[in-house]
Amino acid sequence: MSTSDAIATHALGKHFGDLVAVDALDLSVRRGEIYGFLGRNGAGKTTTIRMLLGLIRPGAGEVDVLGRRVGPGTRDVFARVGYLVESASAYPDLTVRENLEIQRRLTGAPRTAVADAIARMRLESCAERRAGRLSLGNKQRVSLARALLHRPELLILDEPANALDPAGIVEVRELLRALADEQGVTVFMSSHILAEVAHLADRIGIVHEGRLLEELDREQLRAKERLYVAVRASQPDRAASLLAAAGFAHIERADGELRVFDAERRTAEIARALVGAGLDLTELSAVHEDLEAHFLRLTGGLQ
Amino acid sequence: MKFPQVLATEFLKLRRTRVTWLSLVALSLGPLAIALFMWIVREPGRARQLGLLGAKADLSGISATWPSYFSMLTLIVGMGGLLLLAFIVAFVFAREYVEGTAKNLLALPVGRHWFVLAKLVVAGAWWATLVVAVTAETFLIGSVMALPGFSADGAAGAVRDVLVVAAVVYMLAPVIAWIATLSRGYLAPLGFALAMLVLSQVFGKTGWGPWFPWSIVASFVGSVGERVVASIAPGSVVVVALTFLAGIAATIAQLRYADNTQ
Repeated sequence: MSTSDAIATHALGKHFGDLVAVDALDLSVRRGEIYGFLGRNGAGKTTTIRMLLGLIRPGAGEVDVLGRRVGPGTRDVFARVGYLVESASAYPDLTVRENLEIQRRLTGAPRTAVADAIARMRLESCAERRAGRLSLGNKQRVSLARALLHRPELLILDEPANALDPAGIVEVRELLRALADEQGVTVFMSSHILAEVAHLADRIGIVHEGRLLEELDREQLRAKERLYVAVRASQPDRAASLLAAAGFAHIERADGELRVFDAERRTAEIARALVGAGLDLTELSAVHEDLEAHFLRLTGGLQ
Repeated sequence: MKFPQVLATEFLKLRRTRVTWLSLVALSLGPLAIALFMWIVREPGRARQLGLLGAKADLSGISATWPSYFSMLTLIVGMGGLLLLAFIVAFVFAREYVEGTAKNLLALPVGRHWFVLAKLVVAGAWWATLVVAVTAETFLIGSVMALPGFSADGAAGAVRDVLVVAAVVYMLAPVIAWIATLSRGYLAPLGFALAMLVLSQVFGKTGWGPWFPWSIVASFVGSVGERVVASIAPGSVVVVALTFLAGIAATIAQLRYADNTQ
């Protein structure tokens, strides 16, 4: 583990009976970055987050958070960590302010912290309302306010955009970006919503069936957005040779098709080259592949 | 030291909770019901006129006197308390799981054992308030009814009996707390308390009462065999103390080591 790592896991594993929730997961989240932990439902995101927070014990491997090994009895390091796990929750009979006051006392934050958190999450209008009577979106805001209240160095957020309306999602995104950029807060956030993560994260880890399949930084993310022409023809090998001979330099083969890059304005030329050589052309279409397509292919959601 | 802060938050969590008032109403119904029985015993003719006394009524165990009322108070605090305190402890501990807030307590700069101890203190304070209230209610109703047989010694003995039985009932509460954290719901601890009430009779009748914690309460309040006034065998004291400590240790271990997948 590097000293600059806010989170480091080594061969982290957890199974529930026969179900392998997390398998040999090596994560390294650098201080000050926003790390998007991306995966489909049931990929192991929440289980990983629970292990980072010591809510469940790893079946294998280790977890280090802000340089401290997490295990039973770990507590001091959590003064520097704010978190939100899965669904938003609060004491329904207590007001928003009272719920946050509990967090303030437990984290030893100053008295002004509650008012600051309420203002930051724009909860002024419902600060004196009982948490049980809040909308789901406002409950989520209370949970985020709870996570931010003691000004942590590290935020671990499980699906932070859950239940928020589009304006709320943008607001939270801007808030997290500002925390990272201006205060150096590290954000580790899980999500199954690609757009949310793609807009915000400095790095993305894609997890599937408990395993980390790929890590991408911003440059690599951008590189995943690409245009190509999908070609399906009889005799694919010959088709590839014909296209190469016609001057198409970048051709890939995947899923039984040829992908011809830098060719979106040359579809007629492709058709002439193949049909003119006597091949049957069954598909010819321009494709815009974004992170979503990449993610779906990687996690088996796109055949 | 985080404990005072944790304790303050645990008391704050009771704000606006109806359960506190419900528990007070539930326990205070006991002395009221006994008072009604005593009035019927004293005035059977009027009770029959009002339709309060059926043909097969049997109130032979109750006399309209202070000693009888005190004895019933001990019974209410003992046997009623076993159920009511289980209800209180189940609420204090299991609400964190039912309301989804347990996960918010487990990754904080606070040892998890402080939550267990603070919740037990809150339940203890709550229970003590109920016991004081119901004792005061008994004295008030008895005075209004002008029951015969009052003596300072008798009253002091009654208060001592109530305190002893309330303490024993409280010392069985951590086991309920453990069941509540283990099951993460209200039903299992309440079911467990009911089962223990039944078993207290079974062990009491078969002679194992002094070694079974819940029978110790039952035998003290006289529901099993001869009532042993204000005395608990030293062996039974050890059993109750060990149950208390084991309950606390098990609850702390549960919170510290069990996976929280809520």
